Amino acid sequence: MLEIRSATKSFGDVLAVDQVSLRVEPGQMVGVIGRSGAGKSSLLRLVNRLVSATSGDILFEGRSISGLSGQDLRAWRARCAMIFQQFNLVNRLDVITNVLIGRIGTAGTLPVMFKHFSTHERGMAAAALDRLDLLPQALQRADTLSGGQQQRVAIARALIQNPKLILADEPIASLDPRNARLVMEALRTINKEDRMTVICNLHTLDAARAYCDRIVGMAQGRLVFDGAPEALTPAVIQEIYGGADDETVDESLTSTIVARHRVAGTAEPRVVQSAH
Amino acid sequence: MTMRAETAGKLPASTHSERISAFEEHYRSARNLKRLWTTLYGALFLAALVGSILVSDFSITGLLIGLPKAWNYIAGTLPSLSLSNFWADLADWYWGINYWLRLLVETILMGFVGTALGGIVALFLCFPASRNLIDNTAIYFVSRRLLEFFRTVPELVFALIFVFALGLGPFAGVLAIAVHTAGSLGKLFAEVNENIDPRPIEGVRAAGGSWAMIMRLAVVPQALPNYASYGLLRFEINVRGASALGIVGAGGIGQDLYVAIRQFEYTDISAIMLLLIATTAIIDITCETIRHRLIGQDLTTGH
Amino acid sequence: MTLTITHGEIARLRRSNPEIFRRPLAERLREWGLWLGFAALLAFGLWWIDASPLRIWNGLSKLGFLVVLMIPPTDGGAFLGYCYAMLETLAMAFLGTLIAAVLAVPLGFLGAKNLVPNRLFHFGLRRVFDTFRGIDGLVWALIFVSAVGLGPFAGVLAIAVGDLMVFSKLFAEAIENVDRKPIEGVRAAGGSGIQTMRLGVFPQVFPVMMSHVLYFFESNVRSATILGIVGAGGIGLALSDRIRINNWDEAAFIIVMILVTVAVIDNLSRRIRMRIINADTGRK
Ligand SMILES: Nc1ncnc2c1ncn2[C@@H]1O[C@H](COP(=O)(O)OP(=O)(O)O)[C@@H](O)[C@H]1O
Ligand SMILES: [Mg+2]
Repeated sequence: MLEIRSATKSFGDVLAVDQVSLRVEPGQMVGVIGRSGAGKSSLLRLVNRLVSATSGDILFEGRSISGLSGQDLRAWRARCAMIFQQFNLVNRLDVITNVLIGRIGTAGTLPVMFKHFSTHERGMAAAALDRLDLLPQALQRADTLSGGQQQRVAIARALIQNPKLILADEPIASLDPRNARLVMEALRTINKEDRMTVICNLHTLDAARAYCDRIVGMAQGRLVFDGAPEALTPAVIQEIYGGADDETVDESLTSTIVARHRVAGTAEPRVVQSAH
Repeated sequence: MTMRAETAGKLPASTHSERISAFEEHYRSARNLKRLWTTLYGALFLAALVGSILVSDFSITGLLIGLPKAWNYIAGTLPSLSLSNFWADLADWYWGINYWLRLLVETILMGFVGTALGGIVALFLCFPASRNLIDNTAIYFVSRRLLEFFRTVPELVFALIFVFALGLGPFAGVLAIAVHTAGSLGKLFAEVNENIDPRPIEGVRAAGGSWAMIMRLAVVPQALPNYASYGLLRFEINVRGASALGIVGAGGIGQDLYVAIRQFEYTDISAIMLLLIATTAIIDITCETIRHRLIGQDLTTGH
Repeated sequence: MTLTITHGEIARLRRSNPEIFRRPLAERLREWGLWLGFAALLAFGLWWIDASPLRIWNGLSKLGFLVVLMIPPTDGGAFLGYCYAMLETLAMAFLGTLIAAVLAVPLGFLGAKNLVPNRLFHFGLRRVFDTFRGIDGLVWALIFVSAVGLGPFAGVLAIAVGDLMVFSKLFAEAIENVDRKPIEGVRAAGGSGIQTMRLGVFPQVFPVMMSHVLYFFESNVRSATILGIVGAGGIGLALSDRIRINNWDEAAFIIVMILVTVAVIDNLSRRIRMRIINADTGRK
């Protein structure tokens, strides 16, 4: 169980995350929504410790992770896998090695220097790729894959980290609707089948509604909403997305999957229904 | 400066003709400033020129006497080859070919070992010397200064010192090349590192990689083709440099060339120089081909 | 599903995708061959130069001894003399670079294949340019000292000859990269061959040439510091003398002087280069 206790992160004068408190139970799929600059990425980075909190505390299974360093910090990062908007793969390495990078959090330095991984680890990587339908591409260079395939490689990398928690920072923002759906469905499947906790930043409402059990809304670094997707009323949406300029929010503008699907005419009924 | 500020301040409330005269004044002052700079640069250049001529005893008469002398010298080194007796003359010219080839191999080996050793040191020093890869300013500063020291002290000075410490021979030369190479390659490698894509670094760090693992898995794969290309280029330069180190007794063909020049063995000079030119040309062409292939490969298998 | 993986599953995957577990033999052989070849050559080279650990150890202790002798660096009362020698070094670099640059301009125009479209001529000239690059500057200095006698004049000639051909090649390349439109403009307005070059080509290539020249000036200051070792004038003569007579603290002083001078020149020249490049892009 993850517990964030009034975590604050400031960059100079900017309060990226402002006194956020949040509890996430195991097995939940949480969508974090908000405008660009609301502090969603910073929140996930605080949890993975890519950045450290200015104040406040973060606990996992009752243990504080704010003070971790060295080998403990690396082990913690390995346990909460991160997926990025830009995939963050190593382009010039092949796909299988990119997946195997998921094992380095607990590996020794010397084998990694020679890119040596055990048969068992290679088996895990191959199985993870197989699960994401990417086994045939295992020996290709990562940058020869399409965006959607690359993001699935990143998910495979996250999977073999054996994580307790998957943090996904706008995983579909750079993808076309079809690939966005594939990636979100992969995350949802992992959440359901493996009972894995997933926290997923999304800047579109429809994806959050379609795939998440619980939605957290952020605005200007603060938590402004926390509840079930059904509780997202127009007033709440206005608060999350409207900001200071009091425009009414046109919900169709915040959706990528549905809007584009309608134009393309390939929408799957399930997605459309659950989005509206 | 102040004048320009005043005219700028007046602009909004002025009439058409006032604006034109203000513009002309501005234009004139800008042009004058530019002329002033040009004159200043010109004066500096002239001063440097006159100073250099005075200090270096350079004179037209010196040139008129010196150039024919130099030409005669170069012409004098050429052997007399006759068509009727060509092969014998050639054998006469290259009487020491076996010995010279051995020295040539030594020169190339010196270049290779020096580049390899220096490259390895550069590979270790380039990461702490990259701004984007190291948070600790002290470590960054120290590695940068160290690389600077390695490449600013001339290779030949290192050679002189190593010859004293290790005795005459190619070992001293190789060390001198290695130290200089570590400095110059280290700086170039660090520049390559500073221009890589930061996203893979974040990806590897988020998976729990240590600093060394981030360097190995996120930085090296991106930078390797450039490392190799710079390394080959340095190898070309180092073979040329190795041919001169013999002058201070640090091994290679330079030693024999030095003796030939000092003892006025004219035809030997041209024989050795031609060997050197041919060797460096072959190495240059080979390395250039490999470098183009390295870059070409990168373009075809990825983007 | 896959967080724990059975041996059976690994075996299955290994059968269907063996190269994930072990790369193909040919690939492994090639990689091993490359590394082994490199290592063997390095080992052979180390053996040739007689780099035994004992020798390295002895050398290191002697080197440490030298460093102790070097501290603190002192000028031995000859500071002004060193300064003059340093000026001589700078003068050699300056004049040598200048002469090479001036002479290289016509050669560069001749070597550019867009201006002199004779393949054979172009090829021959380029080979000549390349040939001269194969000789180190110090060897040129040695030859010119023999030809015209000791002193900085030999150094000037050595630098000029060493750089002339490199400049010619770089200039020719710069000229080949010019934009064709202004040239055609001048030609269309009835310009002669010389006028075309002066008005159409020169303004485009001048900044490129200048930045090459400044860059070479920097590197020539470095090389000029050592030309004195073979008698071609400058600070190198003083340095090799101090080393020859084991005067290490004074040698250290001269080395520090070289470091400072090179740093100052690099800085100045970098600034001027930036100015030229900025002025150039600012105009466009
Ligand atoms: N490394 C950083 N340095 C300075 N400011 C940052 C940094 N990272 C984020 N910020 C600032 O923090 C705020 C929140 O950013 P972010 O967490 O990326 O928001 P989101 O992911 O919701 O778009 C923004 O104002 C952003 O400019
Ligand atoms: Mg973000």
